[in-house]
Amino acid sequence: MSLARFLLKRGLQGVFVVWGVVTVVFLLRFITPGDPISVIAPLDASPATRQAIAAELGLNRPLYVQYLDYLVGLLQGDMGYSYISNTSASARVFARLPATLELAVAATLVAVVLSIPLGVLSATNRNEPVDYGATTFSLVGISTPNFWLGIMLVLLFAVEFGVFKTSGRGITSARALSALATGNLDVFVSWLTYITLPAITLGTYFTALITRLTRSGMLDELGSAYVRATRAKGLPETLVRYRHALRNTLIPVVTVLGLQLGTLIGGAVITEAVFAWPGLGTLVINSITGRDWVVLQGSLIVIGVGFVLINLVVDALYAYLDPRVVSD
Amino acid sequence: MADDEPTTSRRTFLKFAGGTTAAAAVAGCAGGDQGGAQETTTGAETTTGAETTTAGNETTGSEETTSGGEASREALLQQANQLLHDQAPWVFLNRQYSVYGVSSNVEWTGRRDERIDGYAIQPQGDSSEVTITQSQMDSGLDPHDHRETPTDNIVLQAYEGVLARDAEGKVINQLATDYQRVEDGVVEFTLQDGVTFHEGGDLTAEDVAFSINRIVQEDVGGLASPQSDQLAGVTGAEAPDDSTVRVMSDGINPTVFAVFATYCDVMKRSWVEENDGAYINTHMNGTGPFRLANYQEGVEVVYERNEEYWGDPAPAQGLTIKSASESSTRVNQLLSGETDIAVNVPPQDVNRVRNADNASLTAVPSTRVLFNAMRYDVEPFSSQQFRQAMNLAIDLDSIIENVLQGFAAPTGQPTLEGFVGYNPDVNPYPQDVERAQQLVEESGHAGVSITLQTPVGRYLKDVEIAQAVANQINQLSNVNCELEQREFQALVGEITTGNIEDKPPFYLIGWGNATFDASQTIIPLVTTGGALTTFENEQVDQLMERAQSMGGEPNGN
Repeated sequence: MSLARFLLKRGLQGVFVVWGVVTVVFLLRFITPGDPISVIAPLDASPATRQAIAAELGLNRPLYVQYLDYLVGLLQGDMGYSYISNTSASARVFARLPATLELAVAATLVAVVLSIPLGVLSATNRNEPVDYGATTFSLVGISTPNFWLGIMLVLLFAVEFGVFKTSGRGITSARALSALATGNLDVFVSWLTYITLPAITLGTYFTALITRLTRSGMLDELGSAYVRATRAKGLPETLVRYRHALRNTLIPVVTVLGLQLGTLIGGAVITEAVFAWPGLGTLVINSITGRDWVVLQGSLIVIGVGFVLINLVVDALYAYLDPRVVSD
Repeated sequence: MADDEPTTSRRTFLKFAGGTTAAAAVAGCAGGDQGGAQETTTGAETTTGAETTTAGNETTGSEETTSGGEASREALLQQANQLLHDQAPWVFLNRQYSVYGVSSNVEWTGRRDERIDGYAIQPQGDSSEVTITQSQMDSGLDPHDHRETPTDNIVLQAYEGVLARDAEGKVINQLATDYQRVEDGVVEFTLQDGVTFHEGGDLTAEDVAFSINRIVQEDVGGLASPQSDQLAGVTGAEAPDDSTVRVMSDGINPTVFAVFATYCDVMKRSWVEENDGAYINTHMNGTGPFRLANYQEGVEVVYERNEEYWGDPAPAQGLTIKSASESSTRVNQLLSGETDIAVNVPPQDVNRVRNADNASLTAVPSTRVLFNAMRYDVEPFSSQQFRQAMNLAIDLDSIIENVLQGFAAPTGQPTLEGFVGYNPDVNPYPQDVERAQQLVEESGHAGVSITLQTPVGRYLKDVEIAQAVANQINQLSNVNCELEQREFQALVGEITTGNIEDKPPFYLIGWGNATFDASQTIIPLVTTGGALTTFENEQVDQLMERAQSMGGEPNGN
């Protein structure tokens, strides 16, 4: 099987997954308690008012008509109009996407920068204090709920020491980076005061996970036959470790990185709430509390599609790194 | 609980559609509540004239406060409240408080109507920029196209109505200098001169009439406004001359001034007609003390002081409103100096603010009441003695002290203190377990088992309050009370069907009343045919019918 065919197959599977997500998200509204109209209508609305609302929103049509209508709309990029927020749902959802992506990428960066060196150090210094430190860190990191970590970081570094902002986004990363490029350090630092704590909060679990993965991968590789061969050949230990063992370790690490990036997009809900970060997660929460179904559906679909897309990219990357995947 | 009561009364502008935030809200959804009551009930009952004899005196003992033969509207409402206290259609619980954290950089006290008027905020420090953090952002900036308090707080910095309320809820002038009832169903407002809109142009009576019509008439102003039932009974408005607005109502509409003091923001007719909905939802052109400087949808709204304001310019030069759905995040912002007012500080965060040296609490009674409705048509709640016993079983003060950290007030009648029709002679039921047991015995329902249904997370500490109530009823030797937690929408689905038979027999619910008038609570909840009624009583019905056939106090208070 060629790479192209492999990707086509995965792409088609992705389409079906997205379709499934859309269907479930659509039906969610109908299987949750309380009918959609009582969500919208004032508590003391008369039956006539309720019927009028149903007619206005098209909720009095048969379910399959509403479903097909929704699907056709989605294919045209239309997620419906939210009568609660008075905007098109697509506009609202896509306006929030950059903030979420920014936070997810920042958290991934935190994780990569910390975890791979830590994992390598840990593996190459096995059963030494560095190793114990790193493994303890990953155990704690994996077991700490991130909302708790977020709250603690804020209390300590924002409220107590005042080093970082408690919440909010400040300016966009694009503006921060262009400020950095033009040497406007103040603006860049101010941006850092906003993003650092949420990025650490969101990235900690991930850092811990990759540290463990890198450590165990490195240990495996270092114990394998080809490493013994390279050592026997007289290669310097640094070359053995970083050119050969680490490279092979990175294959699963890349996979997990990609997959985690997908979960970060959807899984940032709690972190975003703790930091009032104006991304998709906050939008999801606000849509739920505001009973804004149209926006909620749109957000969930975008999160689902994002996850599928990232998976596809990871598959492609994996196929490239390890051609055996394609021939299976 | 009195130590955080507000002392200062301040000027304002406002309006409020119920819902502290959509989250800690009232009965309705996302703050939609009362208004419709008028539409669905008052209209149907209409006026039968004042010749009906006074009902309810034998049970109430409440005096009519006016001299002469005819009782005033207020006296009738007070009688109804006394009667309802005695009939005990509810287990009367607490009036909710709005609790705010206020930074020492500003001076401001809370308002009863839950509005946050940037105009009343006095910056104290070097900076004259003020920031407010509420739980949610707006749902678009069109002042006629929403029903939630968070949006009100944002649009009403820039928009104003003809009337307003002071911090205590009393009706005051805003864009009007005078208002009067011309005849049954017709009132007139006289507008002040020299008011201009932010983007230019003078305020005219035509603009006000258009704004009213935009709300009540579907085909005006490109919008079928969700606020049409808030202006209950109003059918339209016209401008006989440049400074007079004439408002027509269906029937006598006794609460018309109260309604205009809460609802209906004035927009410029030409501006609305020249711009589309998307533009109107992202821009503001009002007459208020602040004008929009920067709008970031879902993130923050920044205002600058309106230097051409018709009144004194606002003390604050700039105003920013942002949001954090987590209460602890709002408190963190307050304590680290990132915001000046944190809206809705829940009991668990109260001490953090109290102990801070750069912030303090301000708490003010809201317009929302919590109660346990008891269906009068099913046993054991069909017995007045049993209903009274349930009230006597409750130690309301301890619930308020322990569950709500003192931030609530006990109630003993449907109408809240400060509202038109509140009866100052009616006290909350005291706890009296002996008497409660005796009444249960007398009612013939000794040994009965009842179930209290409560929504989860809809109202501040709803489940905890319901648990306390159920426990205290359980302490009666002859009643067993269980608690059932319900998803709010599912519960609402049952209580809003219009048929009393479909409703749960015993449930906790909240009710906000933004018009500060007893009728907006009593009619929908405890009169025959009310949209949410669980109680029907001829005397109450008659009193309310008479009250609604009268013009109300000329000043609207």
